[in-house]
Amino acid sequence: MSQLTLSTNLQRTRARRPVKAGRRRGEIGVVGWIVIAAASLAALYFILGPLTMLVTTAFRGPQEFLPFEEGAHWTLDNLKTVYSDPALYRTIIPNTLIFTVGSVSVTFAVAFLLAWLVERTNLPWRNVVYTAVLFPLLVPGIVLSITWIFLLAPNTGWINVALRNLLYLGDTGPLNIFSMTGMIIAQGIGLVPFVFLLLSAALRSMNPSLEEASNVAGASPFKTFLRVTLPVLRPGLLAPLILATLVTLEQFETPLVIGFPARIQVFATKIFFELNPDSDLPAYGRAAAVALPFLIGGILLLFLYNYLIRRAESFVTVTGKGFRPTRFELGRWRIPAMIFVSVYALFAAILPGFVLIWASLFGYSFPSLDVLSSISFEGYIDLFNNYKFWLAVRNTFIVAGSSALIVTTIGVVLAWTILRTKLFGRSILDFVSFLSLGIPTVIAGLASMLLYLSVPFGIYGTVLVLVLAYSYRMAVATRLTRAALMQIHAELEEASSVAGGQWLTTIRKVVLPLLMPSLVASFVLLFIIGFREFTIPMILQSTDNGVLSVMMWQAFQSGKTMQAAAVGTIIVMLVIPVIFVMRRFVLARDGKD
Amino acid sequence: MLKVEALERSYETPDGLVHAVKGVSFEVPQGSFYTLLGPSGCGKTTTLRCVAGLEQPTGGRIVIGNTVVADPDNDVFVPAFRRDVGMVFQSYAIWPHMNVLENVAYPLVVRKPRPPRDEINDRAIEALRLVGMDALAKRSATKLSGGQQQRVAFARAIVRHPKLLLLDEPLSNLDAKLREQMRFELQELVARVAITTLYVTHDQSEALAMSDNVAVMSEGLIAQSGAPRSVYDRPANEFVAGFLGGANFLQATVVERNGVSGVVDVDGNAGRVSVPLPESINKGQRIELVFRPEDAPLLFAPNGDGNQVKASVARLSFQGGLTECHLKVGQTIVRSMLHPSVQASPGADAWIQLNPARCVVYAARQPGARPN
Repeated sequence: MSQLTLSTNLQRTRARRPVKAGRRRGEIGVVGWIVIAAASLAALYFILGPLTMLVTTAFRGPQEFLPFEEGAHWTLDNLKTVYSDPALYRTIIPNTLIFTVGSVSVTFAVAFLLAWLVERTNLPWRNVVYTAVLFPLLVPGIVLSITWIFLLAPNTGWINVALRNLLYLGDTGPLNIFSMTGMIIAQGIGLVPFVFLLLSAALRSMNPSLEEASNVAGASPFKTFLRVTLPVLRPGLLAPLILATLVTLEQFETPLVIGFPARIQVFATKIFFELNPDSDLPAYGRAAAVALPFLIGGILLLFLYNYLIRRAESFVTVTGKGFRPTRFELGRWRIPAMIFVSVYALFAAILPGFVLIWASLFGYSFPSLDVLSSISFEGYIDLFNNYKFWLAVRNTFIVAGSSALIVTTIGVVLAWTILRTKLFGRSILDFVSFLSLGIPTVIAGLASMLLYLSVPFGIYGTVLVLVLAYSYRMAVATRLTRAALMQIHAELEEASSVAGGQWLTTIRKVVLPLLMPSLVASFVLLFIIGFREFTIPMILQSTDNGVLSVMMWQAFQSGKTMQAAAVGTIIVMLVIPVIFVMRRFVLARDGKD
Repeated sequence: MLKVEALERSYETPDGLVHAVKGVSFEVPQGSFYTLLGPSGCGKTTTLRCVAGLEQPTGGRIVIGNTVVADPDNDVFVPAFRRDVGMVFQSYAIWPHMNVLENVAYPLVVRKPRPPRDEINDRAIEALRLVGMDALAKRSATKLSGGQQQRVAFARAIVRHPKLLLLDEPLSNLDAKLREQMRFELQELVARVAITTLYVTHDQSEALAMSDNVAVMSEGLIAQSGAPRSVYDRPANEFVAGFLGGANFLQATVVERNGVSGVVDVDGNAGRVSVPLPESINKGQRIELVFRPEDAPLLFAPNGDGNQVKASVARLSFQGGLTECHLKVGQTIVRSMLHPSVQASPGADAWIQLNPARCVVYAARQPGARPN
């Protein structure tokens, strides 16, 4: 989700103009340097602070001790215990691989077909489909995972009940969400919107003349697709593939909600259960040791991604005056295409939404006229009478809002510093902020936990800790504002200087107003990411810093189905207006149709 | 060779039906070079794309050779890949995942039946040699300059010796100096391959220099077509006169008519001149007198010969090879191209010597509708 920005980024960097970098030190002034220094230090702290703590912890023992607690010492025990455990190689690594490869395949097949239908064919209501696809993107993964249980649990799941009634089967099954297949399908479908966005950007940015030239050269549409469309798009397809892999790899919600009852553990849940064992003290050292290769894997994937994006950009050739691409006439495939889109919408948005609302009023019962009389608002009443709910609402907004604000503010200063100054070490800033994209959320949570448990002042368990922990996603803001800043010619700033504006005035009166659209976009995106966040608050949870997503999970786990569904419904209601804000500011599709 | 009859193309847009091409007819004989010239949005590229088969006409007929390739009334439409045409795109559309040779060989590789590998290679190299790119055959397509891309695109378009060559503003993506050079090169190449060519451009000098025939298009229709010189010398209407080269427009009234010519009184007491008159224009009618800046030599004293328009010098601008003089005739500004040796000071009286053979007269139109 945090990588969403890159789709827009990809297009914006296209029109890259050489920008005169560097200016004389004197121009920026003392205030300017203080701002730059503060932002740089904060960014480095948000990203490297927790990570350093994590790496250190992996080498400190005994494992139930915090790294700098009285009695802790340097040791390799954690690594030995973790990596000599055969279960790691026999179950966790294979599970993680099967889960990742399986869900990414599902995601890709569905997302590519959807993106191609919307961008390149004459599918009717394309704009409606585009918006509909976005819907699950904004709903927290935890909500989607739980709705899958409502739909496909072996005994009570709606689809199972319906199938049993239809086929006169026994008391259970026939489908079981609590399986690897169930996990793969739930996760695969959940990630479709994100990959859809990246793929449709890639499809849209392709010069249609490339295909037309092949057509004129005598190649049939099918041959053109194989010989021109796919190869030209390849870098643009591989980059989203890598990102989807990265995101799936760090998935925590699906493995927790669906994988745990099915006794299927992957890396992300393994780390969590090392921290929250059934009957033992949290094993900090072991958790950190599990996290290390996971972190390295994430960062390697990130570099692969970066390499592919650059290659994709080198594939951009001169484009003419942008003809409206000739859309593929679906003809008799129109009906199957519409069925496909409808089935996707049914399982990704309509059924989950409906089952959620239903479960909040009727619990697990299968929809029928008889149960209508048993309607109960208990779930909502309990919720509204619970001060913890109101606290969670407040916390969710505070944490998402302030972390989005912090990251956007720091991000714009970093982006400006990286592009417009010759500050020593600016490439390090660039590197570190980019790195934040490759850090799995579980690890960000774990690392923050270790850091804030170890600091001598009592900050752990507060809302502030969540704000600080969320704020590591620097790359979202720097990448977006950087791309926008590249479009703003340095001469616009120089003109302000020559006209007598001091540095801060130039920034305030020229740079910020011009950057405003991307600042808003960055804020909205970060807010959505923060709003959906489950992993970090789950790891850092305590009595007073609950957020909505965690509250839903706790209610569900303790058997308060109706209440859990009620929280889920409220989350969805809060998300709906955000879709429109997002379409307005983040995904303004230039010249669509 | 190519016959386009009453071609129409309209689009459904959210704002309603848009007619891009409203009934265009023309014919290109075997081996000749035909140009569609017009401002952006005039329908010239849409016409070309219909000929290529990249767009489906909504009316009319297109015939290439002896084959009807598009006839919507009879549900005939041959898609682009089944038409034997070569095309150079405005963006060149060089495939970035192939090298230069692979790009050029592609039309042969996808042909059915596929020629033997050696033949493909030889013919692609031959096409590259023609454009002087054979030395760069193995270069990646992403590492080509604009001029090189254009050459590769041309080689790719002619490699399978198509019946028809289509060029869609192939020079518009190049900078001014390169454009000049490539124009000559392209002209020579087209002459050498001797393929029937349809060329689309908005640049009048390209059109005049390269074509056997030019069709000037405006708002989805052909305003005038013919050999470049005849279109330039006898523009059929003011749009063509204004779009093709510079033109001066003077308002006048017909005072006398003698057969094919007559005498008109130029507004602003600028004098009477004799000019050719179209048949439809009668004595007493308001007309517009059109002549080119290069057909307007100046005299600085009246010589009594007649056929002079009185004017005053407004501004002179020395441009090296020539001097452009702005003159006021009454309230109207006209331009005159003079030899650089001519000198005059602003405010001086001058007489424009008109050659009736180089003047064209139209009935006066509504004020304020002048091109340029």
